[in-house]
Amino acid sequence: MNKQIISFPKDGKPTLIANEWQVWDGERDEGGIPDLEHGFHKVLVPFHWWITHHKNTDVINRASKGEIGVWFAADDDILKHADIIEAGKALWPVVGAHFPIFRDGRSFSTAALLRDRFDWQGEVRAIGDVLIDQLLQGARVGFDAFELRPDQKLDVAPKQFDLFSVVTQNSWRDQRATIATA
Amino acid sequence: MYKYDHIDQTLVDQRVAQFRDQVERRLNGTLAEEEFRPLRLQNGLYHQRHAYMLRVAIPYGLLSAKQLRTLAFIADKYDRGYGHFTTRQNIQYNWVELEQTPDILAELAKVEMHAIQTSGNCIRNITSDAFAGVAGDEYIDPRPICELLRQWSTLHPEFAHLPRKFKFAINGAKEDRTVLLCHDVGIELKKNPEGELTADIYAGGGMGRTPILGSLIKQDVPWQVLPSYLTALLRVYNRFGRRDNLYKARIKILVKALGPEEFARQVEGEWAQLHNASKNSKDNFTQAEWDRVAKHFTKPSYKSLTAVDNEQLAARFTADLDANEKIAFTRWLERNVKPHQVPGYASVILSLKPHGTAAPGDATSAQMNAIADLSDQFSFGELRVTHEQNLVLADVEQAELLNLWRAAKQQNLVLPNIGLLTDIIACPGGDFCSLANAKSLPIAKAIQERFDDLDYLHDLGGITLNISGCINSCGHHHVGNIGVLGVDKDGEEWYQITLGGEQGNDASIGKVIGPSFYANEIPDVMTSLINTYIEQRTGDEPFIDTYRRLGVTPFKEAAYKNALNKNDAKHSKGATA
Repeated sequence: MNKQIISFPKDGKPTLIANEWQVWDGERDEGGIPDLEHGFHKVLVPFHWWITHHKNTDVINRASKGEIGVWFAADDDILKHADIIEAGKALWPVVGAHFPIFRDGRSFSTAALLRDRFDWQGEVRAIGDVLIDQLLQGARVGFDAFELRPDQKLDVAPKQFDLFSVVTQNSWRDQRATIATA
Repeated sequence: MYKYDHIDQTLVDQRVAQFRDQVERRLNGTLAEEEFRPLRLQNGLYHQRHAYMLRVAIPYGLLSAKQLRTLAFIADKYDRGYGHFTTRQNIQYNWVELEQTPDILAELAKVEMHAIQTSGNCIRNITSDAFAGVAGDEYIDPRPICELLRQWSTLHPEFAHLPRKFKFAINGAKEDRTVLLCHDVGIELKKNPEGELTADIYAGGGMGRTPILGSLIKQDVPWQVLPSYLTALLRVYNRFGRRDNLYKARIKILVKALGPEEFARQVEGEWAQLHNASKNSKDNFTQAEWDRVAKHFTKPSYKSLTAVDNEQLAARFTADLDANEKIAFTRWLERNVKPHQVPGYASVILSLKPHGTAAPGDATSAQMNAIADLSDQFSFGELRVTHEQNLVLADVEQAELLNLWRAAKQQNLVLPNIGLLTDIIACPGGDFCSLANAKSLPIAKAIQERFDDLDYLHDLGGITLNISGCINSCGHHHVGNIGVLGVDKDGEEWYQITLGGEQGNDASIGKVIGPSFYANEIPDVMTSLINTYIEQRTGDEPFIDTYRRLGVTPFKEAAYKNALNKNDAKHSKGATA
């Protein structure tokens, strides 16, 4: 995992902050959520794992302390599980959407749906194969936090958000520029 | 002609800067080739067989003389003095250097041009009718909608990494000149009984290895809500289009797998959420946006003239023409001059298909500069690029046709073969393209040389012949009356023939007639096919009608009979194509 993430709140500036969330892949299922001996108390669990485990007592306890969020795989059909997501909104401090490879754009639509359809107000974090050149697109569809792939240069990253001063379609973050507004 | 406002210009300038940074990171090694690839593709930069190739967008096919001169300048300064106009209203340069591409893009930006999304798995350059705004059969000028959707799709964040490329075509005329049904989405513009502009949406068309005609999935979408409807459509595709297999990733496969009704239902469901008026009406195009864009597509200052038909025209110019010229000019009037909405004007197609001397769609920088001058002199400084890889001067006074013909003749642009057998659509094929299995340009050349007799070609009438160097179908062979497809078998180049394809309102996908042929057999095969048509046609029956009446059998028999006589042994090998 990356020790730092880029936080870019909707009405703020992009900054590097410490990463508090460990992304768990859901493997080694028997033991449940992994032991957090490294000081990471907060875990993003796979959404499919949440669906089957969210009624367990220890999961509820951890979740109620704000230590559990979920991440959506690129092929999760989040609209099929709208009821679980609606219930989860009260529990999860953070949700993630995963890029299995940078050129798989499904999670852009996931983020857009989370913001638009579910009216999710909390953090949506891009995880997985997240590269510098996806940041701008991610920021516009609904992501406000990015855990870059470890080889990416963090110093180059924040500049990516300043490349364009105009946009030609509406998105979560901005309205398209028109002559009236420009 | 659309003019950039400061929003468009700022966006394009900033895009150049972004790409310059990406190229720098690639060159200094901080950006890996694998990760650079989709970025450069979204800026039209391919790596081809011999060099980088840059594809520049000509949105809905419209160019100014100034822009064409810049394209010529780029060809001279950064390439080898020519450019290749494509079937999708782009121009390609085949020999550019990676290091110089940001400079080329900066040159383009100076004349309101770019290469944004001319490739890559995103919404591609939107194509339309080359005769938009002037065609006699037009009921709606599609260009304001084209431009609004061009803006909407430019650097769209949600659809930057779709399962595959995504192509829009937009038509507003009675006759479809956009191959609407072979696009991922075809938008047919209409006016409803109240006189309001609406759109019928076709989805899931395409060529490639699985050619499918698009299905009508939604009727009467008000133009204002196209952003939300198309967002819904693309969102369904982005989420559920296949990503496990490159060849099954296009939207046509999704539409086919679900069925058009189910696909339409899913889009409708998504749209119902998006198009919740109280929440998202801000996505709608506004009248103010329409006005801002449409004011640039007004009619030029036409004179008040009287219409003249071609016969009268030919008669009028007779005195100025010698006997040879008379025939050539009359043929040119017949094939290359099209009716216009405004009395006394015509649209002229400049043929980029000289017989056997240049690749279809190629123009030299000298020709481009000369064509720019012609457009200034005869057509309000504007021109268009057609799907068939020719150029159009759209607004020529009929009285000037002879002067134009003489001037264009100097540049070898007046071959009267528009819509005839030698007006071949061809991709660059194996001479340039790294995807190609076989060459297409030498095949086009050989056919043009075989059928060089213009009297004969005119007698044959309209026949479309399209050649692709591989199954990706950039040469649109599926919709040619005669299609030629290059295939590779055991490292050898073979050519498969399809018959019965058609573009336009009665679009159809051609059928493979049988085992493929060697390159050197193709001219003979064409002769056999054409002779069969000549023998079988009744009166003025066009080739496609004869084919539809008789079916494939007589054509197939003729093609193989003659080829087999010559090449028995080879065909036993080719029989598994």
